[in-house]
Amino acid sequence: MTSAVSAADIAPTAYAWEILATGLKVRVGRKRMAVDGLDLSLGTGVHGLLGPNGAGKTTLIRTLATVLRPTEGTLELLGESVGGVAGMGEHRALRRRIGYLPQEFGYYKRFTVREFVEYMAWLKEVPKAEIPAAVQRAVERVGLADRADDRMKSLSGGMVRRVGIAQAIVNDPTVLLLDEPTVGLDPAQRLRFRELLQELGTDTCVLVSTHLVEDVAAACTDVVVFAEGRLVFQGPPDELASMGGPEHAGDSPLERGYSALLLNPEQGRGSW
Amino acid sequence: MRLVAKGDRGAFEELYRRTSPWLAVRLRRRCADEQIVAEVMQETYLAVWRAAGAFAGAAVGGTAVGWLWTIAARRLVDAFRRRAHHAEPPPAAAVPEVAPGAEELALAETVGGDVGDALRCLAPELRQVLQAMVLDGLSVRETAVLLGLPEGTVKTRARRARIAMRRALA
Amino acid sequence: MSGERGERGEHASARIVEGYARGGAGLAADEVWAVEAHLEVCRGCRDRLSAAVGAGVPAVASLVDTVWSGLEPQLAATAPMPRGRRWSARLSRWMTPTMVPWLAMVVAVTLLALLLDLVGTGSGSGSGDVSLVLLFAPVLPVLGVAASWSRGLDPAYELTASVPRAGLQLVLRRTASVLGVVVPALLVGGWATGVMVAQWLLPCLAFTATTLALGGIVGVTRAAVALAAVWAAVVVAPTLAAGRTAFALRADGLPAWGLLLVLGIGVVIARRGAYSVLGAHR
Repeated sequence: MTSAVSAADIAPTAYAWEILATGLKVRVGRKRMAVDGLDLSLGTGVHGLLGPNGAGKTTLIRTLATVLRPTEGTLELLGESVGGVAGMGEHRALRRRIGYLPQEFGYYKRFTVREFVEYMAWLKEVPKAEIPAAVQRAVERVGLADRADDRMKSLSGGMVRRVGIAQAIVNDPTVLLLDEPTVGLDPAQRLRFRELLQELGTDTCVLVSTHLVEDVAAACTDVVVFAEGRLVFQGPPDELASMGGPEHAGDSPLERGYSALLLNPEQGRGSW
Repeated sequence: MRLVAKGDRGAFEELYRRTSPWLAVRLRRRCADEQIVAEVMQETYLAVWRAAGAFAGAAVGGTAVGWLWTIAARRLVDAFRRRAHHAEPPPAAAVPEVAPGAEELALAETVGGDVGDALRCLAPELRQVLQAMVLDGLSVRETAVLLGLPEGTVKTRARRARIAMRRALA
Repeated sequence: MSGERGERGEHASARIVEGYARGGAGLAADEVWAVEAHLEVCRGCRDRLSAAVGAGVPAVASLVDTVWSGLEPQLAATAPMPRGRRWSARLSRWMTPTMVPWLAMVVAVTLLALLLDLVGTGSGSGSGDVSLVLLFAPVLPVLGVAASWSRGLDPAYELTASVPRAGLQLVLRRTASVLGVVVPALLVGGWATGVMVAQWLLPCLAFTATTLALGGIVGVTRAAVALAAVWAAVVVAPTLAAGRTAFALRADGLPAWGLLLVLGIGVVIARRGAYSVLGAHR
């Protein structure tokens, strides 16, 4: 079917990085700065986000999803400025190109998988004619094609998480933010998920926040270590692994590198 | 389509019989790897079988097989993506050289003599991008994956193609 | 670039169809373009293409057969999609999908207020000429709005806040559906107890707008609870105790309600960005 190509589609890309943050600060609650002066630039590919719990990873991802407003600093997503003076806008056009899976993925139990993903596709303003095909494609990509018409309350935890991933990719986003997407997935499913990530990474900027270091090692082209609100390390997984030696705690080279970077051996046993 | 939605195998078989040669020919012109074409076709028709009820409503809108092509095109792009990171990008169909074929009057009129000439004189790589974006309805990102080019190159070629067409038709 | 149309009754010649089916560089570029665009709309030519494939291009014919043989066993295994419930999809665009308990509550409360009113006027004692329907009218949509946006009741609140459609559009849709349930119920109640329509409609709308406006600042649930508490303390309790219709509920108070309504709407529009962030969902 012949379709028109608008001038806007083929105008040269106005940005160098899909996600660009300089001096980003985000306050949570009344006093705590969960993100405290972050400088980050992410382009196409799969980036893993590692960091201790409570370090503000979820806050960072929420801010990137434009669900939280930055307190200070600049944040540019796909060249569009988020936060600051421009911050009160609704960012509708930008959000159509973002996919987000929150850590606490809430869903409606009475919906079937297909109905839920269709509802999310509608919320994401996918053009009406394209919704059935996009939903079917998303459901197949996460491997739930057989269960597409089952109610969500009949699914296991891992399958629910996969539905969450499906709704995140249904609008074919340019920026994909996944907060703990592999929770509840068994090893075989995690393997398939890694393949999906690699597939997505060819033309999308994917940021995966995860606790599982093996996920990062296998699927990510780039690792970002985030602690105490700041960027501690950004680079390929091999580089992180090379920072660790046999004297550091950990079962794999990457874990050792991570502990070399973060864990303070002088900390008492009482605090983790 | 509605019959297929109700689970009528016969209707589905007929849909397959009537549309699969066309789909196969069109896909083969975009991908030289027969295995990928077979895979894409299988996925496309399986998706149609599974979700016929949802598609029935959408099919009424555009042309009957237009949406079938949309599904197949996206699956083709996905297949290319899956293999792209294996560092052996699949062979897109080789760009045919401009063949000095004789004019076929009936069709030349359909395209419009001027437009047809302009198309023929367009550099092959520009035409390839234009075909992917206009005829196949792919986005810039999808075209980039299909042709194995960076997005910036796709955009540049699309702009150049546009300028060339405009100049030829002016 | 969309000048190609096949409807003029001209079809592809046999040479072109066969050349197209064979693949390769046999055709000129514009012929390929034209025939592809034409085949999308012309079933007759597609059939001719199928015939040409069957007759002259064995590679494609065998491809088609291979795919079918791989497809067939899977067809038997997978069931096609059951005919869905279209209405539920349309409904969830207007109302938060978990609103059924609230709906039941609204209907129940309105009926209760109505019954009590009728019983009250019949026996002529107790809360005399104070209409309970009037007393409860403003609070019902407030609770409804809170239910639409509350974190506890809407499990998908975070996703809902993150989508492009979040913001004024979604707010208006959900509020319209809340009012669409409350207003008819109150119409019935008001008509049965002889209360003027504007007397409960304006406070109703004004409170809804105020809840949304405040909700954008402190979170909708908190705003709703605060407003309901204020209403209970300032109006309901004294009215029930004194047995007289308070000033706020009488016809003279209507302009003030009108003003509050306009103010509320203004704030909502001015701060429309607030509904697409997590803050409003508290």
